[in-house]
Amino acid sequence: MPIIRTRDLRKVFRSPRRVPGAFGALRTLLSREYEEKIAVDGVTMSLEAGELVGYIGPNGAGKSTTIKMLTGILVPTSGEIEVAGVVPHEARTENARNIGVVFGQRSQLYWDLPLVESFELLRAIYGIPQAQYRRNLDAFIELLQMDEFLRTPVRQLSLGQRMRGDFAAAMLHDPKIVYLDEPTIGLDVVAKEAIREFIARINAERGTTIILTTHDLADVERLCSRIVLIDHGHVVFDGDVERLKNAYGKFRTLVLAFDEPVAHPVLDGAELEEADGATARFRFDRNRERADLLIRQASERYRLSDVTLEEPDLESIIRRIYVEGYAQPEETPR
Amino acid sequence: MHLWPAFLRLDGMDGSMKAGVMRMRFAPYVEFAKKAFAREATYRMEVATEVGSLVLRVYLLRSLWTALYAQNAAPMNLPLHSMITYATVALLMSLILEVDGTRLIREKLREGSIATDLMKPISVPFYFFSDGIGQTGLHAVLVIPSLLFSLLLVHIDVPSPAVLGAFALSFALGYCVNFFINFLMNSIAFWTLETFAIQLIVRWVSDLLSGQIIPLMFFPGVLGRLVVALPFAAVYSTPLLIYVGVIPPSGWASAFAVQIAWLVSFAALSSLVWRAGARRVVIQGG
Ligand SMILES: Nc1ncnc2c1ncn2[C@@H]1O[C@H](COP(=O)(O)OP(=O)(O)O)[C@@H](O)[C@H]1O
Ligand SMILES: [Mg+2]
Repeated sequence: MPIIRTRDLRKVFRSPRRVPGAFGALRTLLSREYEEKIAVDGVTMSLEAGELVGYIGPNGAGKSTTIKMLTGILVPTSGEIEVAGVVPHEARTENARNIGVVFGQRSQLYWDLPLVESFELLRAIYGIPQAQYRRNLDAFIELLQMDEFLRTPVRQLSLGQRMRGDFAAAMLHDPKIVYLDEPTIGLDVVAKEAIREFIARINAERGTTIILTTHDLADVERLCSRIVLIDHGHVVFDGDVERLKNAYGKFRTLVLAFDEPVAHPVLDGAELEEADGATARFRFDRNRERADLLIRQASERYRLSDVTLEEPDLESIIRRIYVEGYAQPEETPR
Repeated sequence: MHLWPAFLRLDGMDGSMKAGVMRMRFAPYVEFAKKAFAREATYRMEVATEVGSLVLRVYLLRSLWTALYAQNAAPMNLPLHSMITYATVALLMSLILEVDGTRLIREKLREGSIATDLMKPISVPFYFFSDGIGQTGLHAVLVIPSLLFSLLLVHIDVPSPAVLGAFALSFALGYCVNFFINFLMNSIAFWTLETFAIQLIVRWVSDLLSGQIIPLMFFPGVLGRLVVALPFAAVYSTPLLIYVGVIPPSGWASAFAVQIAWLVSFAALSSLVWRAGARRVVIQGG
């Protein structure tokens, strides 16, 4: 039984056409003309309990809109949603008890209060039993290193500190499902790593189902085994990250640096991509050729000063899917 | 969607269960009120300024009414000491009534953070109300020093306990009517964020027509009958007139009835407006 299920989920925003000029605001208010914007266009997906899925797409692809529909604060134009057995927008408060949400762009902490008081407020809001609250809070303080700024008003926290606070706030009530919408946006490398570690542990230790939207593919490479790629409101790929890499990234690049210039380097089984005399780049299908044999071949033919093997990165693969669309490439048996 | 009265639905439970559920359901709101109190208390300068400015206004109004009464002794049979009592109590009431918990609606719509509240298992309007109660709590504490300082400047009549009780009840009803008037005003922000002009006008009109500054019986003829019929009268005028005895005990019941009628109608209207507004948010995405 999937814990999250959507079928043909669509959201069309309808907003009055803006009238420019004098009394524009008033005329906009009275206008009967609308513009329509299709934000999500037939998204069908399902998640099993305990999955950690990356929901990836360029800006404006419809990621946040999907998340908002899953939280119940946005009503779909059509299609079906079910989250932990409830339809979110029909049972907003019931759904709210099952989920935790972190929006990178927006804090749910209370601006004027010390961080810990926001946590206390959440304890009351969700009716978290004292023992559970203490246990979770202690664990999060340690994992997210929050002790130095626990009593600082949220207004005065750095972005990294605030995000850590927001993560703790979203998980205090042990939600079954957590939505993370661009949670690492604007963070430095250290803070990003701390957050990633936290996400991985929550998923592994508590079995929390997590949907993570991000523009930073390093988040995905580190955390997700499955990704759903979305573009213009459509799902263009849904599956294993490894499978995607395998299907699209069957090519490897062997970079050779020569001791003395080589005019026309050749390797059997590999295709010359680029050469400038001192270095050469060879591309090969990793399912057909073995890297170690190619390197041996190269070292028998040329005097090498350095050898590197480059893997295709997820980013370049995904960029190709957006341009070409996902056409299941034939998978060569190994 | 049951956004508004969900927290009141307790039917079909036995007594002890009800008590437990009540405690659980109300716990978040008690906490909201406490936090609002704490938050307001951090603005110490503002608090001191408030007391200072209030005492100054007590002094000015005493001088003003004394001068006016020198021209025309006891207009409408309201002796000067009653008038000064009226004006001072009105100012003390304003400490509490100027709190506007529903300002949050407007602020949250502007920032787009209303979505965060809708993602919590709470009744959002009741959250605004409890936030307002918390702020009111702090302002109620301020009534004490304000009263003490005022007593150095003016004499205030203290009526019998029965009258004080009736005043307190009427004030509580007025407080709730005021909450819903504010709620409706701030809810305009669901449709247009340019609410400033409307707010300002309503503010001026209500200050004048609520009896906060001038007792409503001083308005002549038709105008007098009109302002008494407006809902603003339920906020200041009714409790104040009970306090100074212009509304005698025989008139209390009907005075409360009118206040309750306004309260019920505004609560119903607010509920409709909130549903429509929240619907807009969940359809249009804020
Ligand atoms: N409330 C709204 N009203 C009108 N258009 C919207 C609204 N919210 C989002 N959109 C539009 O819908 C599309 C998808 O937005 P969004 O889901 O925020 O994308 P993402 O999170 O993937 O960047 C965008 O083109 C955006 O401009
Ligand atoms: Mg987004």
